[in-house]
Amino acid sequence: MSLAAAAIPPSECRRVCVALALMLGLLAAAPGLRSARAQVDPFEFEVYPYRTVGEGVAELEWLNSYVPWGHQHGEIGTSAGTLPSNQMLRTSGELTYGLTDHVEAAGYLNLARPNAGGVQYGGAKFHLRGNLFEQGELPVDIGWYVELESWPTPGIDTDPLELELKPILEKDIGRWSFILNPIFEKPVFTGPDRNRGFEFGYANGVYYRWMPRISPGLEFYGGSGFIDGFLPVQTQQHYIFAVLWGELPWGGVEYNCGPGVGLTHGSDHVITKCNLEIERFVGALL
Amino acid sequence: MKMKLILIIMEATKPVMKSAAYGVIAAMLLLAAAQPAQAANYAARIQFRHGHFEPQRLTVPARQPLTLRVVNQSRRAIEFESFKLNRERVVAPGRTITLYLPALEPGRYDFYDDFHQEVPAGEIVAQ
Repeated sequence: MSLAAAAIPPSECRRVCVALALMLGLLAAAPGLRSARAQVDPFEFEVYPYRTVGEGVAELEWLNSYVPWGHQHGEIGTSAGTLPSNQMLRTSGELTYGLTDHVEAAGYLNLARPNAGGVQYGGAKFHLRGNLFEQGELPVDIGWYVELESWPTPGIDTDPLELELKPILEKDIGRWSFILNPIFEKPVFTGPDRNRGFEFGYANGVYYRWMPRISPGLEFYGGSGFIDGFLPVQTQQHYIFAVLWGELPWGGVEYNCGPGVGLTHGSDHVITKCNLEIERFVGALL
Repeated sequence: MKMKLILIIMEATKPVMKSAAYGVIAAMLLLAAAQPAQAANYAARIQFRHGHFEPQRLTVPARQPLTLRVVNQSRRAIEFESFKLNRERVVAPGRTITLYLPALEPGRYDFYDDFHQEVPAGEIVAQ
């Protein structure tokens, strides 16, 4: 396939436009909200690969994280709200659908259970993710990701509406996969920071394909603050996770779980994550 | 007066412009990395029909990049998957997909239909 032939055909453009219009509609319908500094997204410790789900495939994902050793105050560590991160349990349900072989759309519902508290609604997110070329067609596989995040609960996150953009870069070398997700995120529409530009963060991973049932990997997550004025290193967040990933022997359920440690004072000390996903072909909807 | 207004606008948009500059630099780096892959690929084809892959064993030259077309001639969607090759692609009925594989070391690389576990697995033999 030539590079020109790999461009998105008109039918795919139409589907992408429909999905973009939906996202813009959600943006326009969102109520006026205030803004604050965004951080690492603790509801989604996930590194996105180049590959999207295929056309007509629905994927259900359950993302979980728990902070056994965090901070006792809000707005530090993974807490972007007034509630402290220590012993915070977060869970997120994500439904992804492949609009085409190269573009997928997803919606999330976030819930959180703070220490000694009940379950709270954490917010919702919507994303579009895609790529232009076949995997392996370029020396480095390059994809894209656009996400709109709504955080209506100040206890969970004081940053009410954010736009997140991230390129996806992946390179396979033998049994190893190296994935980079640099993250550019900004509060939109309201609040004192809305004109400050983008914050920078990252979600990167190194994975070794050992066995389909179980393989090891390392994941790196972090946030450095606004691009035009990074935070002092000790107040930034940086984490390393040692993960095991693979497919469970029943039901085609895939998992990615493991503990993570914070590397700076601004990070939570220990976090655990466990993501489960299952996919089924449901057919083209558009 | 006009100059002062321009300066005020420049100052107000400075953070945005700075972010945009980073974005442009990042885009340039991405484009620089996006050079076409080497063209001298070995071409091969696998088709899926009557509930199995044909051929079930595909022999290809080792240490040469491979362009593999997978044709689904059945009436159901399949997911062509290979853990060893790190490939996973849905192929709708009647559709053809193209996979670009790097130069393979001599060995056996199994593939299967992940949507239908009863389908016999196939293998690519690089030698």
